[in-house]
Amino acid sequence: MADQAATPLGIATRKPFGLWRHLNKLRWLTLGAVMAMLILIPYLHLYQTYRAAHAYDLLASSEKQIYDAMEFVTDPFVSNPAEDLDAIKGNTWSGTFWGLKISDPLAVLGQSVAGWLIHWPFAITALIPLIVTLLFGRVFCGWICPATFIYELNSSLAAWLRWAGINPTILPAHWHFDRRLKYLVLAVGLVLSSVSGASLVAGIYPPAIIGRELYYAVALGGFGVGSAIFFGTLLFDLLVARRGFCRYICPGGALYSLIGRYRLLRIRRIVETCNDCEKCTAVCEFELNPMRDNFGQECNNCTACIAICPTDALTFAIRPVDVPEQGPGHLGRNYRNNIPNGGE
Amino acid sequence: MMRRRTFLSVMGSGAVATVLPAETDAASYASQRYLRPPGALDEDDFLARCIRCGQCGEACPNRCIKYFGFENGLQSTDTPYITPREKACILCMKCGDVCPTGAIQKIERKVETILDEVKMGHAVVDESLCLSFQGKTCGVCYRACPLPDVAIRVGMLEQPHVLDACVGCGLCERSCIQLPQAIRVIPNHG
Repeated sequence: MADQAATPLGIATRKPFGLWRHLNKLRWLTLGAVMAMLILIPYLHLYQTYRAAHAYDLLASSEKQIYDAMEFVTDPFVSNPAEDLDAIKGNTWSGTFWGLKISDPLAVLGQSVAGWLIHWPFAITALIPLIVTLLFGRVFCGWICPATFIYELNSSLAAWLRWAGINPTILPAHWHFDRRLKYLVLAVGLVLSSVSGASLVAGIYPPAIIGRELYYAVALGGFGVGSAIFFGTLLFDLLVARRGFCRYICPGGALYSLIGRYRLLRIRRIVETCNDCEKCTAVCEFELNPMRDNFGQECNNCTACIAICPTDALTFAIRPVDVPEQGPGHLGRNYRNNIPNGGE
Repeated sequence: MMRRRTFLSVMGSGAVATVLPAETDAASYASQRYLRPPGALDEDDFLARCIRCGQCGEACPNRCIKYFGFENGLQSTDTPYITPREKACILCMKCGDVCPTGAIQKIERKVETILDEVKMGHAVVDESLCLSFQGKTCGVCYRACPLPDVAIRVGMLEQPHVLDACVGCGLCERSCIQLPQAIRVIPNHG
């Protein structure tokens, strides 16, 4: 920050709004809240079934614990749990909130190609996610997706392993898949859904898997086949590429990327206050390059780069495309060594 | 329409069989008798319409709705079903209310609409197993039926006779005291 004197005038007006540094914490709260809801909803359902059965004394002691805990949680809010708790059902794949049904755009797309028919009452349930994605891009991936919550913990695990001297990656360094692979996965998934007449994309889409599997595990007594698929994606991320599933394979991420390609809200670099420290590029879970103004349609506005930037050189901008590459940051050595008068 | 669907599903089975052999063709893998939730579309349309969100199960106050893994074919994965002998449908119609896609149709919870629109299956009595037909007065299935004298009636010695109006909820099969059960629901889906 001592270098601030060397920057051009107008620096004060280019400083990002202070709260944006804290959005990353808010994002973690959001992810945690979604995950907590996905765990709570099956327990609430169990509680409803116990209520509907009118037989507290006949419950096993473990069931009584669930009953008591859920009664404690919901008692201030509902008078008739067996009916009132129907207000919140489902998961991030498709959910019901007080009669408002919200579904993932991929659910609508998968179902439409499986049946060769757009079922409008269902299609409009994806309207809110669609508008949000058009405006804000892949925010679902960064802010809501329950798989992201686990994948980011998985990334942390990989980081701890590296810190402990164990490199979990089995691929050679600098070896990369092509990001566009996920669009191929989306296309093939839709084609298979259409020829098989069943929405097969639901089977490999982690947020859909997690929503279902948590319900199976809590209410139906065990995980199903989807958990094995999800575990595979965790291993892929750990052993092959950080957040590799989201970046290279996820069909939902592909769809969100396409819809959010010309999103209005995007992160941009303030070149005048950037010092080329590369922390943003290192922290980016999607391996984008904020320091070279390279966000593209993959960026999910997770704001991790804003939070880590030591010179507050990243902010939001309202514009449908990224800023063209602005060159080295004005506080960095590269820039100051190359300007004609030697950086003042 | 149906011909194309059949063609597509054959194509699909072929495409999928290369990935997952032996577990694919639902029709040839009839090891399990299951019911779809009340109001479910015909099997082909149901598979195409269902997005596997699991809300029908979450809405079921009786927890009778379970979900397939790979055992009924790849296309059935994560779709809801009911095994009536384990836990049968109580015809509360909540699954249709919560279903976002109409794979399970919304049906009003009234006797007339249920009789009209719910077609899960039809109960069949095996008279060689049924206690009442062996001279031991039973009548449990009749008493378990949510539509007594409409879907099932009993004659001499409480011998059950299933009527055409039976919607196939499976509560009779669930309650049958004979082992194996003397009354079963034959599903309506393909």
